[in-house]
Amino acid sequence: MIDAASSVAEALDAGEADPRGYARAILNILEDASFERAQLEATQRAVMNILDDAAAERAVLAETQRAAVNILEDFDAEKKKVEQANVDLRSENTERARAERALRRATAAAEAANKELEAFSYSVAHDLRAPLRSIAGFSQALQEDHSDILDEEATRFLRHIREAAQQMGELIDDLLNLSRVTRAELRRENVDLSEIGRAVIRRLQEAEPDRAVHVTIAPGLDASADRSLAEVVLTNLLGNAWKFTGKTPQAEIELGAELGEDPPVFFVRDNGAGFDQRYADKLFGVFQRLHTAAEFEGTGIGLATVQRIVLRHGGRASAEGALGRGAIFRFTLDEARP
Amino acid sequence: MSEKLILLVEDSERDEELEIRALRKNGIRNEVVVAHDGQEALDYLFAEGSYAGRVNAELPTVVLLDLKLPKIDGLDVLRRIRADERTKLVPIVILTSSNEERDRIEGYELGANSFVGKPIGLTEFSEAVRQLGLYWLMFNQPAPGRS
Repeated sequence: MIDAASSVAEALDAGEADPRGYARAILNILEDASFERAQLEATQRAVMNILDDAAAERAVLAETQRAAVNILEDFDAEKKKVEQANVDLRSENTERARAERALRRATAAAEAANKELEAFSYSVAHDLRAPLRSIAGFSQALQEDHSDILDEEATRFLRHIREAAQQMGELIDDLLNLSRVTRAELRRENVDLSEIGRAVIRRLQEAEPDRAVHVTIAPGLDASADRSLAEVVLTNLLGNAWKFTGKTPQAEIELGAELGEDPPVFFVRDNGAGFDQRYADKLFGVFQRLHTAAEFEGTGIGLATVQRIVLRHGGRASAEGALGRGAIFRFTLDEARP
Repeated sequence: MSEKLILLVEDSERDEELEIRALRKNGIRNEVVVAHDGQEALDYLFAEGSYAGRVNAELPTVVLLDLKLPKIDGLDVLRRIRADERTKLVPIVILTSSNEERDRIEGYELGANSFVGKPIGLTEFSEAVRQLGLYWLMFNQPAPGRS
């Protein structure tokens, strides 16, 4: 443009000398100027295009930048989460280690207590029984070997000594049995309680062949239980039923299960001496007896043993009775299902 | 073959007296040697210690072995008897106050021939001793080459 203006000025100066050349020159100059203008416009467009492209690229860049920032933010959040998780894990580990230590201590204490109990019962088995055997043995030997110098009263005294020793022996046996029941490993298998019940009754009948008891045992009383412990339960419950029907004319004993219960509720029922229902909860305590030894002998440990076995199986035991009208003992050998 | 003898390993003098009384009352007149602890029992069997130089060291026909003994306990006595070539076939009856399951298991594992709990009542005790004496002295046939 500046070039065109200076060219026009030059042409005007020259035009004073040659007017026709002057017009041509002006036209040329104008042509040149318009060409230059077109070029300028093209350049402008190109620049505009470049600027447009740059703006688009910048937008993309900004977008990319935002995305990158987002990713970084996300990454940061993830990192924080991981760090928190690590912290949690560490504290969980600490917690767990503490719990494990506590468990180990408790287990060790339980094992020590168990060992002590075992040593105690072992020593009871040996050391308490030995002097008893001497007491019972020599009082009987005195009776047998020297009856010629013993009068009736001396004989009776000796009998008391012997019977007391015998009774204490049974106590020791029952207590040992109770502690064994607590310690013994529980091995569940399918057990036919009907069959065990029949064997128990057979033994009771053999020991007292003169007793006439009407016994009913329901067939197929299947349970998942430890066999030897189930035998202890039935020996005690049927033994009690046998004992407490000892003064009942037309004694009846029944072993069965209540219908439709899950887990099954087994029961031993008798029509013997029974007990006062007020004392039902006392029955299962160690040494609890509701009858005097003169009425019915016993150590008062049998039902405690039954209770412990039933509890170890996750079951429950209960007693129902009325004085002079018999008793019913119910038990389950499995946990109640929710 | 010399007379059959019983080795009674028993630390309680009272039990010893009741046991020997039961044997005699039941007509068992065989000689009874009593060892009062585990060491004495082993000394007798192997003719050592106070029994060193025991001539013609006969083995007992049966050993009645208590478990709870001073010095060397019954199960250890049993282990050593079974470990020795001279005595490994001697019949051994564990006669003990305990009726502990683990004693029974270990006793049999170590090679006891029988395990009998001492009953508290004298009648039952006497009957147990009578049957033991009868069985091991009269009916049982020992391994050849033993007394």
